[in-house]
Amino acid sequence: MSKVTTLAEAVASISSGAHLALSGFAITRCTMAFAREVIRQGIKELTVSQCVGAMDADLLVGAGAVERIVYGGGSLDRFGRLACVNRGIENGSLQAEEYSSLSVAFRYLAGSLGLPFIPIKSLRGSDLMRQIQERTGSNVGTVTDPFTGDDWPVLKPLLPDVAVVQVQVSDEEGNAWIMGPRWDNVEQVKASKRTIVITEQVVPVELISRNPEWTVIPSLLVSNVVELPFAAHPTSMYRVYDYDAGQIENYVKANSSPETFKAYLDEYIYGVKDHWEYLERIGGMKHLNNLRADPILGY
Amino acid sequence: MNTNSDYTPSELMAVAGARELQDRQVVAVGLGLPVVASFLAKKTHAPNMTILFELGVIDPEPIHPGVGLADPRVWYRAKSLSSFVDILGTILHNNRVDVGFLGGLEVDQYGNLNTTLVGDPRGEFRHMIGSGGANDIASCAKRTIIIMRHEARKLKKTISFITSPGYLNGGASRAQTGLQGGPSRVITDKAILGFHPETKQMMLISIHPGNTLEDVLATMGFAPIVPSQVPTTEPPEKEQIRLIREVVDPLKMYMG
Repeated sequence: MSKVTTLAEAVASISSGAHLALSGFAITRCTMAFAREVIRQGIKELTVSQCVGAMDADLLVGAGAVERIVYGGGSLDRFGRLACVNRGIENGSLQAEEYSSLSVAFRYLAGSLGLPFIPIKSLRGSDLMRQIQERTGSNVGTVTDPFTGDDWPVLKPLLPDVAVVQVQVSDEEGNAWIMGPRWDNVEQVKASKRTIVITEQVVPVELISRNPEWTVIPSLLVSNVVELPFAAHPTSMYRVYDYDAGQIENYVKANSSPETFKAYLDEYIYGVKDHWEYLERIGGMKHLNNLRADPILGY
Repeated sequence: MNTNSDYTPSELMAVAGARELQDRQVVAVGLGLPVVASFLAKKTHAPNMTILFELGVIDPEPIHPGVGLADPRVWYRAKSLSSFVDILGTILHNNRVDVGFLGGLEVDQYGNLNTTLVGDPRGEFRHMIGSGGANDIASCAKRTIIIMRHEARKLKKTISFITSPGYLNGGASRAQTGLQGGPSRVITDKAILGFHPETKQMMLISIHPGNTLEDVLATMGFAPIVPSQVPTTEPPEKEQIRLIREVVDPLKMYMG
């Protein structure tokens, strides 16, 4: 059964207040077109989670769509900081549950396996642990290993309402491939109630069936498939297109203050009707063609 | 003796980092100087070393410098591309990482690292990059090496936030929380420091050529243990500097 739908319809299926797991990592495979449409549709009070904070989360936070972030810290790599996230934490407008990369990954993993909690070595003795205890009260605990008698910190599973994942290839039912490292994406999908796959290309199921070992997201977990090229722009999509350094620098100039960020939102989100107009706004096909990945290098 | 015409302080830091690594070790690396140190070691005395990036990358052979771990340039010719659970879980958490390389915004005298909250001169705190995999590496690697600039505002007696645990309050406090390992070296642009085996206080190991003990101490926010004899750090070899400049970091993305 085809699950192919438009971005607008897929985004409209998300309620304000939902918990979204987003597939971005810093400046790669971020759910950018999705985030821009969430902002245009005015969906609010979201919880967003990801192991390492990325440009998709920063954009949503800066646009006021996010109430709470669950993450392991993050940046825009050499380009700059997650300034909207940092500012939200500093001024108290954003609730932050801040972990390490592995702690968030283990919370997704516990969720993906249907386990009630997961023990972890990390966080012990750190102020991250103290802060999580103070801010959440109940998301970390201690259990005694019944076999050795050792005490272990344990984390609650993370159970997002919707995982939103940018992939290179999917069929119309949502059997999807992720090229390159997958960081937390597979555990995010498997811990979530449902998944929206945003794919550069919808391919025939025959191609999937001939290469099933490539499938890391099986269709049974997927509710919607959106085919949308350059949907991760200005972040990169391994083997398809490189990041757009100029546009990320443009973003980093904008996210340094609420005033400049508002102008950014007006120009690139509220000022365009949809993803296609956005792509025209940033330079159209002539510009995007320069970002195409070299087939050997992958970038 | 001024040897700065032959190599930069950053290059010496990278070489000192490389010297800490042995062949066949498994090394978890963040971006920046640790990448240069690790690739340098692999191209010289440690060809069978395994390099890990937290997001799921094993043993890449990049030919172009990247802007960070998210840049596909640093994944090029990897031997495996997988996930956090794979790298930080099945390898690091499962006790298979020999050395973790960490940078930090602030470190205290027990090797605890802060990358989360940094105070400005007005007494307000800015939220920074946070942990990423740093807390996991500091908690789970068999030992860690810290690389950072030698400045009093970075080498502090106490830090405002422990993102990644060193020896906590010193002595046995780290072991008492159930953590093994801990930092073994702090490599700065002026000196190499270690930790006292009992008290776990930071201890001077060697001073880089061209620096004085007085200057090293005056630019720290706390007094490290100073042994009666502090040797001079061995300068880099010509071949190591050539490899850094021509092969590992020709565009000076990491060495600045």
